[in-house]
Amino acid sequence: MQAGAIMKFVSAGCVITALGLFAYVVNASNMLSYLSSDSETCINCHVMNTHYASWQHSSHREVGCVECHLPRDSFVNKMTAKARDGFNHSVAFTFGTYSNSMRVTDDASRRIQANCIACHRDVVAEMMEYGESYQPLEGGEDVARRCWDCHRGVPHGFTRGLLSYPDNLSVKEL
Amino acid sequence: MKKTIIITAVSAMAIVPLFLLAVSINENKAEGEALSSVPKIKAFESRSAEWGKHFPRQYETYMDTKKDDHFVDLLDKYPALVVMWAGYGFSKDYNSPRGHFYMVEDNVNTLRTGGPVDDKTGPMPTACWTCKSSDVPRLMEEHGELDYFTGKWPRWGSEVVNPVGCLDCHSNETMELTLTRPYLVRALDKEGSLPYKDVTHQDMRSLTCAQCHSEYYFKKTEWTDDDGTKKVANVVTFPWDNGTSVEEMEKYYDDRNFVDWTHKVSRAPMLKAQHPDYELYKTGAHARNNVSCADCHLPTMREGTTKFSSHNTGNPLDNMQHSCLVCHRGTEEELRATVGRKLERKDELHYKAMQVLAKAHIEAGKAWELGATEEEMAAALQDIRHGQWRWDYVVASHGGFFHAPGESLRILGSAIEKGQEARLKLRIVLARYGAAEFVAADFSTKEKAQEIIGLPYDKLVEEKDHFLNTLRQEWIKDATEKGLFDPATREGMDNI
Repeated sequence: MQAGAIMKFVSAGCVITALGLFAYVVNASNMLSYLSSDSETCINCHVMNTHYASWQHSSHREVGCVECHLPRDSFVNKMTAKARDGFNHSVAFTFGTYSNSMRVTDDASRRIQANCIACHRDVVAEMMEYGESYQPLEGGEDVARRCWDCHRGVPHGFTRGLLSYPDNLSVKEL
Repeated sequence: MKKTIIITAVSAMAIVPLFLLAVSINENKAEGEALSSVPKIKAFESRSAEWGKHFPRQYETYMDTKKDDHFVDLLDKYPALVVMWAGYGFSKDYNSPRGHFYMVEDNVNTLRTGGPVDDKTGPMPTACWTCKSSDVPRLMEEHGELDYFTGKWPRWGSEVVNPVGCLDCHSNETMELTLTRPYLVRALDKEGSLPYKDVTHQDMRSLTCAQCHSEYYFKKTEWTDDDGTKKVANVVTFPWDNGTSVEEMEKYYDDRNFVDWTHKVSRAPMLKAQHPDYELYKTGAHARNNVSCADCHLPTMREGTTKFSSHNTGNPLDNMQHSCLVCHRGTEEELRATVGRKLERKDELHYKAMQVLAKAHIEAGKAWELGATEEEMAAALQDIRHGQWRWDYVVASHGGFFHAPGESLRILGSAIEKGQEARLKLRIVLARYGAAEFVAADFSTKEKAQEIIGLPYDKLVEEKDHFLNTLRQEWIKDATEKGLFDPATREGMDNI
């Protein structure tokens, strides 16, 4: 019976420690900020500094990260994509499996393309109408090429190694 | 029992990864902080070279402003200016600006700052240093703003030696953009459309420039020092209370009966505009699209795999690949031609306005000579005051023709109108005194114009030379002993 009582204390202690640690991780990782659409959330981890800085100096600086990178058709799609990307990013950052030159996934690239078109529809309407006649179609999309196959520097510039902007993010952003 | 074991096991299984995750997060955070840590630079370090040790790319590009060493004698190019500024410093000497590297030297060398023989003589107040040097924020801090603004220009000759540099726009603690001139903060709050508390980082990328590239005047401010002595400070003040347009500032000055100087020939109560660059820029297309000064004048450059902000502030047309062409389509040639045409349009009206205003001054002078009364002259002189202020607002504004072409031409149009209004009124007065056919004297060269206004040019040059060879040399010696003088800031200049 006494062993049982000790065990109860031990298990209660473990639960409290686990909850405490969880709370600590929530706080340390700024977890709740991921529910927002604030672009500064994306530099919670410093690997995004270059992409943040290059965007901040680009023609698209008035448009937040999520407006291009996440689907905008429905809240559920947006949050699902955010959760999936977030998980992949966390894994990559925690285990250090990212490289100095980061590329978007195919999935993200489809979303971004859709968002390019959503904002610039007037400009690309003609292209989408006649794209079929001179572009090989792929995966049932309107235009097979990505906008940034030509507009290569938009909006992150041509130079985007992880340390390309050494003086751009001082404490003002952290 | 079994339940508690399961709970313990599950908790323990959660604790281990959570613990490892917490460790990993903290490690990554430390790495992030190390990457964005700020080097230790002492407060009020006015020698930019000291900052440059940590930011070599920014410092080297800043020092490149030295290459912009060409200047034009504008009084020679536009002799009408001599007549228009008769009785005021600018009629003595007025050159187009060189790169930032030269600002202290050019301030010391111009005939406008005269040839003082000690720290209490000369025509100019201490305020003239305010926009020339990184040493100014330190002096304001050490002596208090009002004391800094009290006395004659030579008072700070051995303290103000480093041209505007890192310290003027950056906090030494965080490297963030910061305002080091308190009068801009006061002006923003008074003007009200962008109070200082609402300023964003993008706003700061223009406001740091606006600390100096704005219209200002020296406001006489009485104060009492610690010993109870009454003193008068000449405080740099932006006339923005009513707004920043040419009419709103004109009203500000009129309401206060403020006069920069009384014109030597026409006796008009004159205003001198001081480069309202920020104000005019704000009315243009770039400002409306939230493009800041830094976007074009300190563009992002690439060096190897590194990107940084070029600090070679100057003409963005010298670096179009990194300024204009980042946003604009078309070729360099096309854009350059477009800008060139804007300049021609401005110059056309600029030239017309100068001819009109200079003639108005000379005609007013003739009317006085013939015995015109103050009552007869008042309305015409007020028109001259307003016309010249408006012309100056545009012309003194660096790049105003480009920043806000429409507004610039509108203002120049009204300057010409005011000038012609004055001339119509003056013609009636002249006719009354039998000089209906009076023709203004020829002011087609700088020498002729300086003769019309009776300027002792040779004497001024002599005084200046004496000052440069005596007092100036003492200043440099003192500043070197104080550890303020950095020879790198004068490299290649021949008069040190």
